[in-house]
Amino acid sequence: MTEPNNTLERARIEVGLTHTELWFRYFELGGMSTALEVEAYLYDALTPTNHDRDIVAAALNERFAELGGDHPLAYTDDVDPDTIDR
Amino acid sequence: MIEHRAVDSDRVDTDISFGLTTLYSGRQVVVALRGGVDTFTAPTLGRVLDALFDAGRRHVVIDLAELDVMDAPGLRVIGPMSSRLHHNGGVLTIRSPSPIIRRILDIAGMGDLIEGRTRDPRPTTLGAEQHSGDASTPVTGASAESTPHDAVRLPAFPAGNDVIDATLRLVTALARATIGGADGVSVSLTRHGRLTTVAASDETIAQMDRDQYSTGQGPCLSAAAEGHWFHVDSLAEESRWPQFVRRALQDGIASILSTPLIVSARSVGALNIYSNTDHAFGPLDQQLAALFASEASSILAEARTEMTNDEVTQRLRDALTTREVIAAAQGVIMGQQGFSADAAYAHIRRTAKRTGLTINATAAAVLDTAQRDDLIGQTRT
Repeated sequence: MTEPNNTLERARIEVGLTHTELWFRYFELGGMSTALEVEAYLYDALTPTNHDRDIVAAALNERFAELGGDHPLAYTDDVDPDTIDR
Repeated sequence: MIEHRAVDSDRVDTDISFGLTTLYSGRQVVVALRGGVDTFTAPTLGRVLDALFDAGRRHVVIDLAELDVMDAPGLRVIGPMSSRLHHNGGVLTIRSPSPIIRRILDIAGMGDLIEGRTRDPRPTTLGAEQHSGDASTPVTGASAESTPHDAVRLPAFPAGNDVIDATLRLVTALARATIGGADGVSVSLTRHGRLTTVAASDETIAQMDRDQYSTGQGPCLSAAAEGHWFHVDSLAEESRWPQFVRRALQDGIASILSTPLIVSARSVGALNIYSNTDHAFGPLDQQLAALFASEASSILAEARTEMTNDEVTQRLRDALTTREVIAAAQGVIMGQQGFSADAAYAHIRRTAKRTGLTINATAAAVLDTAQRDDLIGQTRT
């Protein structure tokens, strides 16, 4: 299996969340996209708004934090725009 | 399957329960039934017998000592399975039926299956099939319980809410007994959004699963998340999942085979097979693992609607509460700072990242502060 290109999808796999669980967490954090749309963001089939993309990233970052990690995923409004990787 | 669950509660009202215990010994497996086998419980029995057949079990004893009711659906499960076993060189025997059930079996033309009247006495020759190491153990068909080394004993389970877990425990035990080199087997499922072990052959194996959940890494998590199988041929040479691998090696695990459980094209968990030996699993074992995983998946597929509804309801309720807190905090910041909704959200998110709190906790803190300020404002006026 080849590594997915999408940073968020790679992160999802790394932290062991199913797409459904990620959507729940995204929804919990105020996201308004459907589960199918969020899945499409991760497969680069749809392009999320910055706001949506950042909520998905936040959901993943909180999962990283649960596992004792840092917040490795950058947000679109972080100081250095080069660190943003869709 | 939706009606199954609904009918379970009806069945509680009529006070007919159903339980099943499975005991393995050598080639023989004893399925002890309790309560009643009727329209609603017969499919469970059928599934168990099918799984045993699929796992190559050909000598099946159905113990009815504690069975009160045997309806036609039960006979329709047992009869065909008896023929199926007979055609495949095996035999199904019925042990200790009550006088009434004995008469029912006679009427149904199945009296020959009752132990003692059996035409083919093969199941009682179990002792001859024991491995040489167990030669000292006195074994007869009727005292199969006396082989603690070989026997895989499953706890009795009530039909009802726990029936899925119990059936999965059966699949686990079958996989453990069937797959060469398997020293332990577990089934992990996504429940309430998290992977949980619903069946494990022993405590070490349950701990292996927990180690993967707590480190957030391991073949079980990867199989469940990615939906394809992961085979660790030799844990000592494994470079993936470093934190988990270190713990597993300490516990004497040497190879792992994790197969995803797929329901409606979605991965919902994994069947995990652990061995204390390197290179324990060959292509045949992978096929067997896939077979058991698909058995577990089909059990889940039937139950899926109900489980998902439960899960979804609970999760949505929790999620809505959290969302409300965040939305309210957004409103406070918008009012205080004149931010747009998205900017207010970003503000909360940045604060959360800086402080190491979750977004939810940060939003709650914003509300707390606002409320306090509000109170102070009120006292001043």
